[in-house]
Amino acid sequence: MKIGALKESFEGEARVAITPSSSAHLQKLGHEVFIESGAGARAGFSDEDYRAAGVTVEATAAELVAAVDVVAKVRQPTEGEIGQMRDGQTLISFFYPAQNAELLEVARQQGITAIAMDMVPRISRAQKMDALSSMANIAGYRAVIEAANNFGRFFTGQVTAAGKVPPAKVLVVGAGVAGLAAIGTSVSLGAQVHAFDVRPEVAEQIESMGAEFVFLEFDEAVQDGAATGGYAAPSSPEFREKQLAKFRELAPQMDIVITTALIPGRDAPKLWTRDMVEAMKPGSVIVDLAAEKGGNCDLTVPDERIVTDNGVTIIGYTDFPSRMGAQASELYGNNVRHFMADLTPKKDGVIEHNMEDDVIRGATVTRDHDITWPPPPPKIAAIAAQKPKEKPKALTAEEKRAAEIAAFKAETKSQVTLLAGGGLLLLLVGLVAPASFMSHFIVFVLACFVGFRVIWNVAHSLHTPLMAITNAISSIIILGALMQIGSGSGWVLLLSALAVLMAGVNIFGGFLVTRRMLAMFQKS
Amino acid sequence: MEYGFTTAAYVVAAILFILSLGGLSGQESAKRAIWYGIVGMGLAVVATLFGPGAGNWWLSAIMIAIGGSAGFVIAKRVQMTEMPQLVAAMHSLVGLAAVFVGFNAQIELARVLRQKAENAAAEFEGFAAVLAYKTPAEIAVLKIEVFLGIFIGAITFTGSVVAFGKLAGRVDGKPKKLPGGHALNAGALALSILFGVLYCADAGSPILWLVLITLLAFFIGYHLIMGIGGADMPVVVSMLNSYSGWAAAAIGFTLGNDLLIVVGALVGSSGAILSYIMCKAMNRHFVSVILGGFGGETGPAAEIEGEQIPIDADSVAAALNDADSVVIVPGYGMAVAQAQAAVSELTRKLRAAGKEVRFAIHPVAGRLPGHMNVLLAEAKVPYDIVLEMDEINDDFPSTDVVIVIGSNDIVNPAAQDDPNSPIAGMPVLEVWKAKQVFVSKRGQGTGYSGIENPLFFKENTRMFYGDAKDSINKLLPMVE
Repeated sequence: MKIGALKESFEGEARVAITPSSSAHLQKLGHEVFIESGAGARAGFSDEDYRAAGVTVEATAAELVAAVDVVAKVRQPTEGEIGQMRDGQTLISFFYPAQNAELLEVARQQGITAIAMDMVPRISRAQKMDALSSMANIAGYRAVIEAANNFGRFFTGQVTAAGKVPPAKVLVVGAGVAGLAAIGTSVSLGAQVHAFDVRPEVAEQIESMGAEFVFLEFDEAVQDGAATGGYAAPSSPEFREKQLAKFRELAPQMDIVITTALIPGRDAPKLWTRDMVEAMKPGSVIVDLAAEKGGNCDLTVPDERIVTDNGVTIIGYTDFPSRMGAQASELYGNNVRHFMADLTPKKDGVIEHNMEDDVIRGATVTRDHDITWPPPPPKIAAIAAQKPKEKPKALTAEEKRAAEIAAFKAETKSQVTLLAGGGLLLLLVGLVAPASFMSHFIVFVLACFVGFRVIWNVAHSLHTPLMAITNAISSIIILGALMQIGSGSGWVLLLSALAVLMAGVNIFGGFLVTRRMLAMFQKS
Repeated sequence: MEYGFTTAAYVVAAILFILSLGGLSGQESAKRAIWYGIVGMGLAVVATLFGPGAGNWWLSAIMIAIGGSAGFVIAKRVQMTEMPQLVAAMHSLVGLAAVFVGFNAQIELARVLRQKAENAAAEFEGFAAVLAYKTPAEIAVLKIEVFLGIFIGAITFTGSVVAFGKLAGRVDGKPKKLPGGHALNAGALALSILFGVLYCADAGSPILWLVLITLLAFFIGYHLIMGIGGADMPVVVSMLNSYSGWAAAAIGFTLGNDLLIVVGALVGSSGAILSYIMCKAMNRHFVSVILGGFGGETGPAAEIEGEQIPIDADSVAAALNDADSVVIVPGYGMAVAQAQAAVSELTRKLRAAGKEVRFAIHPVAGRLPGHMNVLLAEAKVPYDIVLEMDEINDDFPSTDVVIVIGSNDIVNPAAQDDPNSPIAGMPVLEVWKAKQVFVSKRGQGTGYSGIENPLFFKENTRMFYGDAKDSINKLLPMVE
């Protein structure tokens, strides 16, 4: 199959869907790769670079679309771009079908197979093609860099000859992929990072990145993020109030606020209100990663950097990934080629559009003049549902006492039963057995008792030496043979001499080997 | 006077033996404890030689010298990996000695009774003199004791010989049974008891009954242990250890020797406890281990999803270099490949690089209780970084890399996750909770139990195929 990438028509978009390195992988899958002239220029890849990687460069978009079977893009296509395509052609790009019903209809009429990279289901197997995550990762990183650029101070605390510099305090709201990337970047710049998320199960992830989880005292059963494919769900008004109150408390202390809160298919929730902005120190920076969906902050202006009256900078850029064109293209290009790898399972350049496959089915939004969106829920749950953690019940003092008394009673009972039973048995034996036997029997029972007590304390690691030494001392049987060797003659003499011989082997062998073993146990 | 001296010596010896076993509670005190055992044994032998009823000193001394030098040579030459078979072989000697002593008791008894009947005033020497004073009731009890001593001793003898063969690889380790299975054993046991009753009742020739009982017990010991698989040998060896003790105790009763009784009881209970600990570690009943093989199918095993992903030495070395904490889980495979020295060297290098390296030992790892500890100690791995299952299981989630060397069932998550698994409920090392697990294994196969191990299919597991020794040696130059 022939696959080609268009030059992005969106103003200022620097990304490209195929890079020279991803084209090499596509070629290994058996595909022929094309590119529109100048498509990679803003990401730092010249036409020459592509040619060197074995990619055919087409002069115009029309020629490219005519030449290929699969068209790859980054941004969602325009109606004009879809109009150029022919029946049966495949398009791979971001699509946002929920927000772009008309575009979806155009694609259906055109008869193209549209694969939406934003619809790749969030299951482990599909992580390598999850373009939303790879772009969010870049956005989170870039958000911190933009914030640092607009913040007139260090991120890291320093003690210099000229004076002490406190570390910057960063608050990250929403710990999705972007949020976690922002946390990681801020932490590595040396800031003190706090982070908040409505999904309590991410607290551990936040802490693992080196940030402090902003804990909200709230009793309502919080919805498990696992039920919504790992994304946050809208929260109740009471919860929201509680959350805003916490933010109000934090606002005056924070130097940098990075908001990343998004709920799939909705406008961004307003979490950072005007009064919070007004409470912040002059020089503070807010980076609103949700600006495209209206912003988490009341004052955000999409695509703009504004400075409020009290000197707080609010950044509402919507093109963070594009601002890192080279890196974003590299990762997006890899997402696309991983998707192509799933589409060509035999690596022979023949595309098998398997609609039974969860990932391919989920991402395909139109096919054969049909709208195939929304997809059925994937067969595999995205994240294992969190088991509700059982809290160990705190026992009251009385309950504890009662339990102790019960345990004591049970132990006493079992011991007394055993003693009584054992005693009775001994008495019965004593009734029939001769006295000389009984005196030996008492010794035997006592020795068993001592043995059990002593052996329980033996260290597990010394079990082999224990076996060797018990082996050595079990050759005490030599005493029996020694007593008999002087008595009688013939068979007795022969047998007891042999017994002495064997026991002798055991005594020396057993003790020596034990000693050898024990000498090897050394402390570090 | 002589009796008093012997008894006093016996008391001291018994105390020394108890101290000697008690001293094994710690590695350092164990080094002293062994001397208690040696002195106790020396005292007991000397006291018996000078005590009543002993004779033929020269013969005794020569026999002890011959046997002792043989034991000396064996103990010096034996490899630490061969320890399980050595222990098994030594048990067989004790068992056989018990049989011989038992026979002697009967021969002497018959002689004494015969002479007493002919001439009431006959003079006896040595052991015979002890027998001569016995009342008829005491003689009846004596016969039961002789029967028990011979029976248990004979089972111990053949059982240990078979266990030795299996451990040394001279006999196929797979469970094998004659047609008839346990019915044969039960029949042999019933027959032995019948002969035992006939023997005690003085019907027919006593020696004949005893020989028959011995042969039957030989068969039971052989057949019983043949039916038990190689990996259950820790239980078998400790069970035989226990039997050799009980045989000694029974002989002690026969001879009226308290020291034999005490030591036999000590050894017997020691072996019994060891068997119990081993069974508990495998979550199996003692009876089901002894009856051999795994129990019947309990239901279909859970399906395993995923694939076994192999990895090469470079990547393992890279992961080790990045790791801060490493846990090594050795198993029987490490002993087979003689990889303990290489593992020790790897440990030394990793520790020198400032990493935390520890060993996790499952109670039934290897073919003998504590087998792995001895091998690691031989390879000079310090014992304070070698930990038991309970000590280390909680630490796996915070461990970067786990290396599993030649173990399988003891790290099988199915024991916890799959109620239908044959090993369900067995306590296992929870290695899969670590960030990354490398499994050094010869190839894709199941372990002793024949159970597929879902660990190998986990996302954080990589299979490091190859001989354990070669694999680890390949890692050594790459780890710094």
